[in-house]
Amino acid sequence: MSRVWIIFAGLAVLGLVYPFAMPGMLSVAVTVLLFAGWATAWDIAGGWCGQVSLGHAAFVGLGAYVVALGQVELGVPPWFGLPVAAALAAGLAWCWGRLTFSLAGPYFTLSTIAVAEILRMVAINEDWLTGGAIGVFISTLPEPFGIDLFSREAQYWMALAFALGTIALVAILSERRFGYRMRAVREDENSAMAAGIDPTATKLHAFMLSGALTAVGGGIYGIFLSYLEPHVMFYLFLSVQIALTSIIGGRGTVFGPAAGAVLLVGAGEIFRTTFAQANLLIYGILILIVVLFFPRGLVAELIRGVARRRYAQSTQGE
Amino acid sequence: MDTTAFLQNVSNGFLIGGVYALIGIGLTLVFGVMRTINFAHGDFTVLGMYGAVAFNSAIGWDPYAALIVAVPAAFIGGVLIERFVLSRLVEAPPETTLLATLGLSLIIGNCLLLIWGPEPESVNVPYAATTLAVGSVRVSVVLLAAGLMTLAAITALWLFLSRTETGRAVKATASNRLGAELVGIDTRRIHSLVFGLGTSLAVIAGVALIPLLFANPTNLGPIFTLKAFVVTVLGGLGNVWAAIAGGLILGIVEVLGTAYLASEYRDAYGLIVFLAILLLRPEGLFGRTTKRA
Repeated sequence: MSRVWIIFAGLAVLGLVYPFAMPGMLSVAVTVLLFAGWATAWDIAGGWCGQVSLGHAAFVGLGAYVVALGQVELGVPPWFGLPVAAALAAGLAWCWGRLTFSLAGPYFTLSTIAVAEILRMVAINEDWLTGGAIGVFISTLPEPFGIDLFSREAQYWMALAFALGTIALVAILSERRFGYRMRAVREDENSAMAAGIDPTATKLHAFMLSGALTAVGGGIYGIFLSYLEPHVMFYLFLSVQIALTSIIGGRGTVFGPAAGAVLLVGAGEIFRTTFAQANLLIYGILILIVVLFFPRGLVAELIRGVARRRYAQSTQGE
Repeated sequence: MDTTAFLQNVSNGFLIGGVYALIGIGLTLVFGVMRTINFAHGDFTVLGMYGAVAFNSAIGWDPYAALIVAVPAAFIGGVLIERFVLSRLVEAPPETTLLATLGLSLIIGNCLLLIWGPEPESVNVPYAATTLAVGSVRVSVVLLAAGLMTLAAITALWLFLSRTETGRAVKATASNRLGAELVGIDTRRIHSLVFGLGTSLAVIAGVALIPLLFANPTNLGPIFTLKAFVVTVLGGLGNVWAAIAGGLILGIVEVLGTAYLASEYRDAYGLIVFLAILLLRPEGLFGRTTKRA
């Protein structure tokens, strides 16, 4: 039991108690949890493996549409829809990565925007598949064991499972060989190759895992909104929000992205009346502050500060 | 195929491409000299559009007259941004400057949203719908004016880069920063100057576009930025003259794609070309085939 798992257990207890403590604030909590899960999933590719993507909304959209269309058109319940969405997203990530992982650094980032924007235009224009710009409305959902999936409580538990599952997976991976491979590729691809790591395969696997998890969150998001519009699901600014949540919280840390989600969604709620639609202003200001003064992210920098102080105290006592 | 319609489409594409080129050269210049991917570039163009709207509604002059105020203001703004944000990030990994400019983009767009609200804004000019007949082809006066402004701005930039001492210092900094410093060029000043020029060019494009397009605070900026990237990548990053060709190609591809393929995918054609070029010919259509470090 390392410190990571103690924090994780604390978060899990907090998540389990929350709906009983604050039953009136479930919608905000679902948003926080979805962003926590997305940002953590983004971090697998963006933080641990160093492949900054600004196209993750494509995975959100794919997940939401697969779950919604499966339910509405084919009558496939969400618990089958979600794994299918994850598999399709992994497939999409594989093709996408195969195509663009020859590009390094900022060029890769630019190419992700282009791919996601093309997919958004497909979602808007291919009416036969996605209902076009009008969108898809989820009117009925099955009731497993009598649970109403339209209720906020059910959606809260789904989002909690998604967020905690993603964080747990990252916590496990960070200590496994794959986690070290990803970090090696992030730091220096040539050195990683010299150590016998295949950088392209590592990046592909990280991107596929990241995309599949994001799509699961997207499926839950679709149920949460129960109305899917391509403009919302494939939105460029959703990609930007996911990436910035993770970077502001702290790239390449287990809890940084989730902390970023609490901070940013919370700030968005507090300033809702002041800024109205201009809620992304907070993201803009915070990312500038982070880039200029806290390059590791707010949470990671905080942890480092605490660790340094503790070390200083421990050496003073001697 | 109808020849007149085809010529009409090509001429429209050519003129729209001129404006794309104007947005693109600012980005190319900044990238070529500073190696910075400026994600806020399109938002400076939108800022130019709103500047012209404000100028027009406040004083009632022709929106093009806004250039007198907007260009110096954009230059100073660009220099300040370089001094206080980008110059601190020279040693940081390249994604860092992209994130910083992404932050600037969000700040500019959302401040405009706070000031003007989400409703699109435009100006009313009496000549908005006027066209000139050239043979059987009709040319919109506003588009023609935009094309002429592009030509003037690019010629001025070219004269500056090739005929002045500072311009040659800019070129030296672009080709080898360390070498430029060794011969006594203050490359930090050059960076500020270049970023100021880049924002000025973006703002000029915005003023040129306002009689044509509705200004919208948050969504238009990234669209312009992406178009500028397409133009830049088509021509080869950092090559100012090739960016003009890139802009014209993008304009023509878009207009012809819209007319003869599927019109819904207007914005996708440029992006597909962008991906194809990035993957197949990263040095650009006109770049020399050399390995970049």
